[in-house]
Amino acid sequence: MKHSKPARVLAVLLACVLLCACEKQEASVEGVTSSVFAMDTIMDLTPYGAAAEEANTAAEARILELESLFSVTQEGSDVYRANHGDGVPVTVSEDTAALLETALRVCAQTDGALDISIYPVLRTWGFTTGSYQVPDEAEIQSLLERVNYRDIAFDADARTVSLPDGMEIDLGSVAKGYTGDQVMQVFRDTGVTSGMINLGGNVQVLGTKPDGSAWRVAVQDPRGDGYVGVIEAVDQAVITSGGYQRYFEQDGEIYWHILDPATGAPAHSGVISATAVGDSGTMCDALSTALFVMGADRAEDYWRTYGGFDYLLVTEDGKIILTEGLADRFEPLGTWESSSVTVVKK
Amino acid sequence: MKKTSFWVILIAAVALLAGVAAVWLQIRGAGATIANIYQDGVCIRSIDLSSLTETVTFTVEGPAGTNTIEAEHGRIRVSHAECPDQVCVEMGWRSDGASPIVCLPNKLVIRLENTAASATPEIDGVTG
Repeated sequence: MKHSKPARVLAVLLACVLLCACEKQEASVEGVTSSVFAMDTIMDLTPYGAAAEEANTAAEARILELESLFSVTQEGSDVYRANHGDGVPVTVSEDTAALLETALRVCAQTDGALDISIYPVLRTWGFTTGSYQVPDEAEIQSLLERVNYRDIAFDADARTVSLPDGMEIDLGSVAKGYTGDQVMQVFRDTGVTSGMINLGGNVQVLGTKPDGSAWRVAVQDPRGDGYVGVIEAVDQAVITSGGYQRYFEQDGEIYWHILDPATGAPAHSGVISATAVGDSGTMCDALSTALFVMGADRAEDYWRTYGGFDYLLVTEDGKIILTEGLADRFEPLGTWESSSVTVVKK
Repeated sequence: MKKTSFWVILIAAVALLAGVAAVWLQIRGAGATIANIYQDGVCIRSIDLSSLTETVTFTVEGPAGTNTIEAEHGRIRVSHAECPDQVCVEMGWRSDGASPIVCLPNKLVIRLENTAASATPEIDGVTG
């Protein structure tokens, strides 16, 4: 059978069109996003694959369970009972014990740059309620007398915790990180091998994207809309602390919610955004806060001593500092492309 | 010859249709930025931001008071809120779907759906 020339040309053309259409079909594994309001934020869960729906249902239940343990305000939560224990040891759940153990370790390793007993000071600034005010210095000093993670009597084996009179703890700086780790576990248990969650700005990813490439996680620009750049991540948590996340302005001065436990005032270390990248969401959550408080020099010392994670700092003079593990998987965006980038090496 | 011309016309017709469809999808895909506004998980309004030529302002009533939402070509924000913390207002404008605008007290979420590869490189999520 013989075809005319135009017919052959058209057939080739048609094949091209069909092939182009096929190309768009790659990565057909679908993600299912579910949103949960918990821990004073919105949590987006996006597992991929056939088990996605089931994974989301299980993860939501797990999140609400953890919230009922870690909540400061919910009567009967582990944290609430510890804060109202009147010096009597309170037995807590395995989850709370595991979280406390990690949190207290970071408190000690960072020499109090992270202190889970800062809560009363945070409250007096209004950051827990939204009724912002600049407290007077005398009030801060009197509240700081009860801020000291070393005074928390925690027995990991017995799972008991007791606080001195007047001390209150809050796991807000680590609870979302721990929750991220637990959601990853739920995903794995239900057979999910690829997924991403965003717990109010805490990003954690499972595996690679369904197409086998790394997840691309953008770091919010601390100075406004847009992004500092993109970090590629596989099986890791990428967690940022920044002053821009919650703040208020009074008499031309900006006060943000990350307090330096040493002064009881907003931390001014020269760092305006600190991102921790690592395998453990709990560690990254704790560390992002601690790095923000410590500033570039202390962050570097800490990383050299303990390691096990990478970080990216943005300083108030517009510089980017990152550890060597991120050097090849961070890409600055927009105006940040021309910023000075310092790579910290071991 | 008659048989051949039949096939030529058929193939030409299919190719033409496919071409038109491809172009139409491209155009639609390139421009469409849809803002979906959710209250307590329920989508209460969708706006095609790419088709807006002037600013649209409206309010949404929630348990903690009203949120005033301002939408214009390609972007959207909460311009005013009656809630105490003002976090949603401070979030500013959103023009891509990488992260939503959220007002927790009112359980209000604004998500943007970009149907096209925009100028920014591909982003799966945003930390911060």
